[in-house]
Amino acid sequence: MTTCTTFWRTCRRCVSGACLLAPFVFAALVVAQSGGDAWTTYHGDYTGQRHSGLAQIAPDNVHQITLTWAFATGQTAAIKATPILSNGIVYVTSPDHVWAIDARSGHQVWHYGYPANEGFHIGHRGVAVYKDSVFFTTPDAHLVALNANDGKVKWNVVVADAKKGYWSTNAPLLVRNHLLVGVAGDFDNLPGILTSVDPDTGQTQWVFYSTPPPGTPGSPSDGATGGQMWMTGTYDPQLNLVFVGTGNPTPVLNGPARQGDNRWTDSIVAINPDTGKLAWGFQATRHDTHDWDAAEVPVLVDAAFNGASTKMVMQASRNGYFYVLDRATGHSLLTKPFATANWATGIDQDGRPIPNPAKEPARDGRLVAPDESGGTNYRSPSFDPKTGLLIVSSHDAYGIYFFKPDHGAYGWAGADYGVFGKSALRAIDYRTGDIKWSHDLGEGASGAGVMTTESGLTFTGDTAGNVLALRTSDGATLWHAGIGRVGNSPITYQLDGRQYVLVAGGASLYAWALPEAR
Amino acid sequence: MRKRVRNLTESLGAVLLLYGLLAVAPAAQQASPGQLQSGQRVFAAQCGFCHGRDAMGGETGPDLTKSALVRDAAAGEKLRAVVRDGRVDKGMPAFRLTDADLTAVVAFIRDQKIKTESPGARRSVDVADLQTGDAEAGRRYFNGAGRCAACHSPSGDFAGLATRLQGLQLLQRLLYPSNGRGAKVVVDLPSGGTVRGALAYHDEFTIALTDDDGRYHSWSTGQVKFKVDNPLEAHAEQLGKYTDDDMHNVLAYLQTLR
Repeated sequence: MTTCTTFWRTCRRCVSGACLLAPFVFAALVVAQSGGDAWTTYHGDYTGQRHSGLAQIAPDNVHQITLTWAFATGQTAAIKATPILSNGIVYVTSPDHVWAIDARSGHQVWHYGYPANEGFHIGHRGVAVYKDSVFFTTPDAHLVALNANDGKVKWNVVVADAKKGYWSTNAPLLVRNHLLVGVAGDFDNLPGILTSVDPDTGQTQWVFYSTPPPGTPGSPSDGATGGQMWMTGTYDPQLNLVFVGTGNPTPVLNGPARQGDNRWTDSIVAINPDTGKLAWGFQATRHDTHDWDAAEVPVLVDAAFNGASTKMVMQASRNGYFYVLDRATGHSLLTKPFATANWATGIDQDGRPIPNPAKEPARDGRLVAPDESGGTNYRSPSFDPKTGLLIVSSHDAYGIYFFKPDHGAYGWAGADYGVFGKSALRAIDYRTGDIKWSHDLGEGASGAGVMTTESGLTFTGDTAGNVLALRTSDGATLWHAGIGRVGNSPITYQLDGRQYVLVAGGASLYAWALPEAR
Repeated sequence: MRKRVRNLTESLGAVLLLYGLLAVAPAAQQASPGQLQSGQRVFAAQCGFCHGRDAMGGETGPDLTKSALVRDAAAGEKLRAVVRDGRVDKGMPAFRLTDADLTAVVAFIRDQKIKTESPGARRSVDVADLQTGDAEAGRRYFNGAGRCAACHSPSGDFAGLATRLQGLQLLQRLLYPSNGRGAKVVVDLPSGGTVRGALAYHDEFTIALTDDDGRYHSWSTGQVKFKVDNPLEAHAEQLGKYTDDDMHNVLAYLQTLR
């Protein structure tokens, strides 16, 4: 039980009183081999903070870290997945592929290739691990359970109909005996669905709809479809609520076809994992006409806000705004832009930006910030409890947006073009929304997420293909390596007393650690 | 999530319609509907990952329907070579496709290009859509608040501009001419010498240039002093200052430069 002891110790050091350790309990259930300090879920734990208690690699020695192994997938697709470390095995994915790799050596233990299919191969976020199973979503929206020991298929179930336009890149979220699987599908006008599956049998337990299923009387979404939940959520065991970000409404750029707020698209929704019922929703963008999914990580933090101990959920959203909510109620505590945004005329009494109708896509074009790829995107942020900073890879970018009736009301239903953008890693003080520091990452958008560690380090990647280690307190660069475009969020784990940092560059995975003692 | 794709049924219908109506590029002319469908299938599975399922841009890859290589109908072999060999410097890997799949993919990309330019096609932006500006107000902005005249002249580099660029292409170029004049850099060496050239690469750690002889040089940014002169910085800065009216007015003015 070394793992649990270490994490309980970490927990007491955290600002977060409830460190939401349930994933690590599950880690202990997975095969009996002793692994060491692990990263057993997509976000590392239920909070989505992506903050590790490990501190062997520190600001004063990070310049000494050295490559201990590299693993080339041999695939053309870049790794966008967060690797999972469980019982000494790293599981990493790209569309149609899962690899199990020895976390000490980089040696491939097994590889699973999903049969050729015509699903959408846009990216893949990673697996979930439970008992002796590895769960993998597919481009044609299936969920496959693999034997963790040898990669053999245990079962394969359909989550959504790929022929209608659904696909999945999702790393499922495990909450007790519920495996929550998200899909995407907003090339077509489809309702947003999140499915809870029994991890032992593959049976569907419930389906949550973010927009009404076909046949629903009335129109609570004002005629909008969409709101897909394609990113992994977070979970608070005390409130027994799962927090998930929902995607944009469809038709995407045609606002007149769906006048109104279009609930619950572009929202953070709080769902009971036992029933699939909505507890509350908060719209980051109401009546979105710019493809600004609020799918970004809803990060859970327990800390003081305006002097009172508060259970918060915070999100740096694709629309360029940073939100802090009371996660018991969904009420707004703070809303403030963290990236260039010119589309709102103010903030309403509920903490939601007020869309400027003049910035809706139009026949002659509107110059709008952020562009379609957003002020940030699926790349994960990290919360550092010591400093109270949410550190996010942000993107200041302009696009031109067009819509005319000829574009119709199906799918994209408009046209938009990115003009120019540049990236910066921004450290947001959650108490005020102020940017404490900003570190330039170059032109274009970085694909790299962020991880912070207890020693005061922040790992991420720039737009040129460097992995970076920065000092969390001020953003100063302490180490870098040019490994190609970093397309995933870094993780860290400890094995045999040695801390490893894993980062993907292109289609390869790199493991860094301090040199071994001679 | 990035999504620019048309419904498969609609797409196929459009392919068949366009076949009868349009003068198409040679590669697409020779492609059968079956080949285009096959190209669409391979593209969606292999290329849509970066370029979007309809080739109009995705999470990391550009809109191929706007690519100069795609525009050049005679460059089919070059396009095939890019797919086969990749563009590693820009993050595009090589793809191991069969000759038949490669031919189908190239035909599909070309066909998508044609569809975006045909009148009435979905997602199109026509020249007529963009005629809401006031040319005289645009001229004043060009010479005043826009500071365009600091670098450009209607009788110099912009003489006859509207005969070369129209519509959306002109609008995009006025906002940010990414293929315009490149940046220059002057590097002062610790030894006392100075090297000048076209900026070839710049990140936090490395600065590189190509000198007048075409030779590439690079240095660690911490070991030299350097000054970059990037004419595009003024365009990037202006993006935060334009009103939509300013943008449309400048476009209207530039359209008068024939």
